[in-house]
Amino acid sequence: MTSDDPKSAPESRTQSGPSLAEKTHEVEAVKASLLDPAREEALARQRQRGKKTARERVACLVDKFDEYGALVTTASGTPSDAPTDGVITGVGTIDGRGVAVVAQDFSVFGGSIGHIGGQKILRMVKHCLQSGIPLILLLDGGGHRIQDGQDSWHYASGGSLMHDMVRLSGWVPVVTAILGDGFAAGTNFAGLSDFVIMVRGLSTMGLAGPSLVKAATGEEVTKEDLGGAAAQVDRHGLAHAGVQTEDEALELIRRYLSYLPSNARAAPARGPCTDPPDRRCESFATLVPADSRKPYDVRRVIHDLADAQSILEIQPTFAANAVTAFARMNGRSVGFVANQPLNLGGILNSAACEKIAHFVALCDAYGLPLIYLIDVPGFYIGSAAEKTMLGRRSAKMLHELGQATVPRISLVLRKGYGLGYFAMAGGRGFEADVSLAWPTAEICAMSIEGSVDVAYRKDYQAAQDPTMRRQELIDGIRDRITPLRAAGGFGVDDVIDPADTRRYLNDALARAPARRANSMPPKWRSIPPI
Amino acid sequence: MPNRNVRAEMGGTVIEIVCHAGAAVNEGDILLILEAMKIEMSVTSPVAGRVREMPVAADDVVEEDQLLAVIEY
Repeated sequence: MTSDDPKSAPESRTQSGPSLAEKTHEVEAVKASLLDPAREEALARQRQRGKKTARERVACLVDKFDEYGALVTTASGTPSDAPTDGVITGVGTIDGRGVAVVAQDFSVFGGSIGHIGGQKILRMVKHCLQSGIPLILLLDGGGHRIQDGQDSWHYASGGSLMHDMVRLSGWVPVVTAILGDGFAAGTNFAGLSDFVIMVRGLSTMGLAGPSLVKAATGEEVTKEDLGGAAAQVDRHGLAHAGVQTEDEALELIRRYLSYLPSNARAAPARGPCTDPPDRRCESFATLVPADSRKPYDVRRVIHDLADAQSILEIQPTFAANAVTAFARMNGRSVGFVANQPLNLGGILNSAACEKIAHFVALCDAYGLPLIYLIDVPGFYIGSAAEKTMLGRRSAKMLHELGQATVPRISLVLRKGYGLGYFAMAGGRGFEADVSLAWPTAEICAMSIEGSVDVAYRKDYQAAQDPTMRRQELIDGIRDRITPLRAAGGFGVDDVIDPADTRRYLNDALARAPARRANSMPPKWRSIPPI
Repeated sequence: MPNRNVRAEMGGTVIEIVCHAGAAVNEGDILLILEAMKIEMSVTSPVAGRVREMPVAADDVVEEDQLLAVIEY
C-alpha cells in the first residue's frame, strides 16, 4: 500500500477510531432506517386504509428530491423514535422547476407537529421566501403534537411560521393537499394557501375535529359531515378542488403549477400552441338564445375560445353561478371570469363574489391576464342576500379588480346590468385593455322590467290598457340598450362577430403590456371591504 | 326507501311544474322551472327515482331553501 493511493485509504488507520467509510456507512444505515422498506410495521395502518405513505406521495409528486432534516431527533431521542419528527421536508423539481415540499407522516405521532418538525416546516417557508420557489404542503394528520404543545416554555414564543406564510402570499404559489385528516393546524395552513385540494371520502378539514367539538360545545357531528369534501369544497368553498384519489390530487398540484410562474418576478410559464390563434368559433352563432330568459352554458364559450385542452376550472362545484378558470390563449396562461346563466341565472351572490375576488387576486399576483365574459342580470337581492353581507362582498370584487395591474379584457355576451357590469370589468370602469360586445349585448343599469315596475308604475297603471302600456315602456327601453347604442356612446370599443372572438382576444393579449401603472395616492395599503 | 329533498337555491316564482308527484325521474331531469330576476332556472332531480311529493304549484312564490320536491330513490 502506498500513501498516495486513494483506494488504499479506507483500509489505513492513521488515528484510532472509525474510518471515513465506516462513518459514512453508519450515517447511511441511519438514513436507510428512515425509508419505507425499513418501516413496514409502522406504515401498516396507513397501507390498510389504502393511503399512500408520505414518502410515496413525495416520490409521485416531484423529481430529484433532496430531503432536508431527515436526521432530526427530539432532544433526548434517536432518529428511529420519531423518524423525521413526523414530517418530510425538502426540495425537488416539477417540470424542471424547483419546488419545496412539506409532507406530514401520519405514521409518526399521527402526523402531528413536534418542536423540531415545526422548525423544519418553518425552514421550508423561509427557503421559499429566499429562493422564490413554490411551496407544496401534503398534509395528513394532527396539528400541534399535544405532548409538545402544552408547555408555555415553547408555546409562548410561538415562532414566525404564520407571519412568514403571510409574507409568502403573492410571492410564490402555495398549494396544499389535504390527504387525510387536516383539522386544526392543517386548516390554518390551508387558510393561508392559494389552492387547497381534498380527496373525497378521505380528506377532512376544519378548525377542530369532532372530538374537540363535542368536548367544547356538545355538538355531535361526524368527521365527514363536519369537514369532508362535500362540506368544505362544494358547500363552503374552503377548499378549491375535490378529487377522487391521491394520485389525482398529486397530478392536480402539478397541473395547477404549470399555469403559474415560480414566483411573482419570474417569467410566466408559456407553452407552445398548436391551436391557431385566429381560429373562428362558428358554434357561437347559435349559442346564445334569442330569448334572454333562456340559459346556456358559458363553459362552452370558454372551451371554444381557449387553446384546445388548456382549461383548468377552479372551484367548479362552489358558486357554480360564476366560472373561474385557468386556460391558455396562444400558449399564454390567462384567467377567465364568467357569469354562468345555467346556475341561478348567472346572478352574483356572496359565494360568487368571494370566488371571483380570490381568483382575480391570484391572477394579478402571478401575471395572468383576466378575460371577463359578461352575462350578468345583477347581484342577488332580498333578505337572503342581505344575510350574507352582499353589500361588502360585492365591493370586494371591485376592490380586487381595482388593485390589479394585469391586462384585462371585457366582453359582454348578453346582459351587462348594474354594478355587476362594473364588477365584471365592463366598459371603461377599470380601463379594460379592450372592451367588446357581441350583437346580443344589453348593457344598462338594471333589468328592464324591474326598472319599468319601479319607475313607471304610476304611468302604466293610469293608462287605458296597463298591460299594453307596460309592454310599450319595456319595448322603448329595449330599443335604447342595443349594442350599437353602447358603441355609439363609446362605452365599448367594438361590437364583434362572435366567431371572431378568439382572434380579437389573442391580438389584444399580444399588444397588452404585462403590467400597467395603477396610479394610487401615497397610501400605505388598501383596506379590503371584508 | 331513502328520500332526497330538493330545495330552492334562491327565492323566485314557480312558473311551470314539469314533473308532477308520482312521476318517475332520471338524474338531471327537470322537475320544475323557477323564475327570478327575469331568468328561468330549471330545478333538476339530483337522483333517479320517483317524485314522492311536490309541495309547490305554478305561481307560488318560494323563498331560498324552501322545499320544492321530495324524490324517493
